[in-house]
Amino acid sequence: MAHEQQTFNISVPDSELELLRKKLDLARFPDELEESGWEYGAPLADVRRLVERWKDGFDWRAAETKLNKLPQFTRDIDVDRFGTLNIHYVHVKSEATDAIPLLFVHGWPGSFLEVSKILPLLTSTGEHPSFHVVALSLPGFGFSEGAQKTGFRIAQYAEVGHKLMLALGYNTYAVQGGDWGNIICRNLAHLYGPKHVKAWYTNLPIGRPPTFRDSPLLYLRSLLTPFSAQDVKGLERNRLWDFKYKGYMYIQQSKPQTVGYSQADSPVGLLAWIYEKLVSWTDSYPWEDDEVLTWVSLYWFSRAGPTAAARIYYEYFNFVAASTPPWTGIPLGISYFPKEILYTPRLWMRTVGNVVYESEHTVGGHFAAYEQPEALVGDLREMFGKPDLAKLFK
Amino acid sequence: MAHATEKSFKVSVPDSELELLRKKLDLVRFPDELDGSGWNYGAPLADVRRLVARWKDGYDWRTAEAKINELPQFTRDVDVDEFGTLNIHYVHVKSDAKDAIPLLFIHGWPGHFMEVSKMLPLLTSSSGDHPSFHVVACSLPNFGFSDAAKQTGFKIEKYAETLHKVMLALGYNEYAVQGGDWGYCVARSMAYAYGPKHVKAWHTNSPVSGPPTLYDSPLLYLKFMTTPFTAAETESFKRHQAKSYNTGGYMEIHRTKPQTIGYSLADSPVGLLAWIYEKLVAWTDKYPWDDDEVLTWVSIYWFSRAGPTASGRIYYEFLSRMAESTPPWSPVPLGLSYFPEEVAPYAPKLWMRTVGDVVFEAEHNAGGHFAAYEQPEALADDLRAMFSKPALAKLFK
Repeated sequence: MAHEQQTFNISVPDSELELLRKKLDLARFPDELEESGWEYGAPLADVRRLVERWKDGFDWRAAETKLNKLPQFTRDIDVDRFGTLNIHYVHVKSEATDAIPLLFVHGWPGSFLEVSKILPLLTSTGEHPSFHVVALSLPGFGFSEGAQKTGFRIAQYAEVGHKLMLALGYNTYAVQGGDWGNIICRNLAHLYGPKHVKAWYTNLPIGRPPTFRDSPLLYLRSLLTPFSAQDVKGLERNRLWDFKYKGYMYIQQSKPQTVGYSQADSPVGLLAWIYEKLVSWTDSYPWEDDEVLTWVSLYWFSRAGPTAAARIYYEYFNFVAASTPPWTGIPLGISYFPKEILYTPRLWMRTVGNVVYESEHTVGGHFAAYEQPEALVGDLREMFGKPDLAKLFK
Repeated sequence: MAHATEKSFKVSVPDSELELLRKKLDLVRFPDELDGSGWNYGAPLADVRRLVARWKDGYDWRTAEAKINELPQFTRDVDVDEFGTLNIHYVHVKSDAKDAIPLLFIHGWPGHFMEVSKMLPLLTSSSGDHPSFHVVACSLPNFGFSDAAKQTGFKIEKYAETLHKVMLALGYNEYAVQGGDWGYCVARSMAYAYGPKHVKAWHTNSPVSGPPTLYDSPLLYLKFMTTPFTAAETESFKRHQAKSYNTGGYMEIHRTKPQTIGYSLADSPVGLLAWIYEKLVAWTDKYPWDDDEVLTWVSIYWFSRAGPTASGRIYYEFLSRMAESTPPWSPVPLGLSYFPEEVAPYAPKLWMRTVGDVVFEAEHNAGGHFAAYEQPEALADDLRAMFSKPALAKLFK
């Protein structure tokens, strides 16, 4: 069933801007413990300052115009058992004739905007692979519709990405993702490779340690291979993550509706909820207030509302086994950024897929495409410059 | 340092706060909801919409306030070591009975001082052949109409210290303590720190403990390892597991980033409402909540002196130093009441013997987490039965 593509420009109604302004005018702030820094959450001074700017100074229409420089479209995608979802995406073709179609998959609290800095680099022509780039708003995020009923799991997110690529005429393509993009790309590779998905890359490698039952050789290898210094440091960061930073994940995976009332109703609440991540998950990225406010506004003004986005946590974490594919032979590229929130030793990643490319960086965090666009693009160019990968797309 | 006077207190929320709430409720923006999600994803949209509509139009805070103010309330300054002076709010009702036992009632989250209101007349009554009590129910620091702590590190021991000083200031040199939820942790801390000299006995309706360990309680450990769970205990474990699945998210965010979630709770009445309402329903035993009843509970948080955000910090301060703030076994007599729909992790009676000297146990067929509010007669009866025991009664002579 062919659906037509429509061009799309973000155009938030005046009434929404007005409502936001009224709410910001009535903002009620909590107190803060003396000298608590970031320990208890986003600091009050930061949040107050950002709210002030949001009320007075931040110009959404200017931000909107800038966003609309990205060529955006929508089209209906039929999702088995979920009906038709109208999906929003950025799409830029390279001039290179042999450019590789690449689907960029964001996560939470990310968005299609995360592709904006790597876009010109990926699509450019030169002595390196070029890419046609598609960056969708995941269902329930940005300007895509959300599912209306329960059970929209990772496989469904992958189905949407896949059908979008096919609809755009990309019968064979590669996928790239961090955060939720990691597991979605893993599912894309498993479900639609090698016929359609030829390779996948992630800047948030996630994998379990090998078990004797599932990967006996890797398991033996893991027994004989000591952890590297990087492994030790990374696994320690994981423990810290588990102990101090996972709270948001627990509430979103268990009661996304309950926390969702706050996210839908309070711009201050939503701002703090997201801003805390933007700072603590990045590698000293020099966020500008307006930059933060644009990111948050994409959630505040999202088509499905901010509450819909977090449901992905529920649908994944209550059904992890169903959402975790077995090992897949589709070529996999992984890269390590030092301030990424989760760390997986490289050996363990061999339980996930056919690792053909690895890279390591000395700067950068969770939002790698946004923090370190050249580095990420460098990885992709190197990975897809390999002859055996390049030829998969000929 | 003793502060001279207690001041009598009446809840009196400024008009400006009522006005702000009204304005915010007028601007509410609701999320959508997934078909068929029921309560699984959180508080249902229809319930929240209905409650918000009532809060805007129909619910009368001033009436609720007047009802609260029927209870004799007071405030007094308490010096808390390293935290300066906190002004503490409490209900205090003396019994006519001259040998009444001073009893401190401690609430938790999302509870408040009014949880004691149904038990009050029962506990203070001097007619009948049962013990009577002088009852004190504080708003914990950071809750209700008490001050908030201003510095980091206000751990459970500090809540205990504050409440102990209130009891002493009221002239109760010897007293008993009753608590559920955080009230359990604070009561346990008080028993350990101030008993048996001051705290003569304590009781909880949410008994929580891990199993005995070889290191701490070798004999109990031996018993634990060699005694199978009874059918009833197995049933209780199963029931608790089912009931508590996916309910701990709020605790995880409170314990790690209470300030971050706190911006939402301070700014959004509907957000706060949903946050609390979900627990009022999930944690009770089919308690027939009235909309106005729910709104009064939530309003106490919305209009709280310290603001709703401060109340979440108790999770951070305890759970970041849980081992340190969990006292060892104490000889102070301990009473337990088990309610079937309690949401706190189930601890069989054997395990509770690692906590204190268990002298009283009761089991009920109905009731949940907010036992004093859901089952006031049952809980009051338990306390009367516990303190009827000659060994206990004589502690207060």
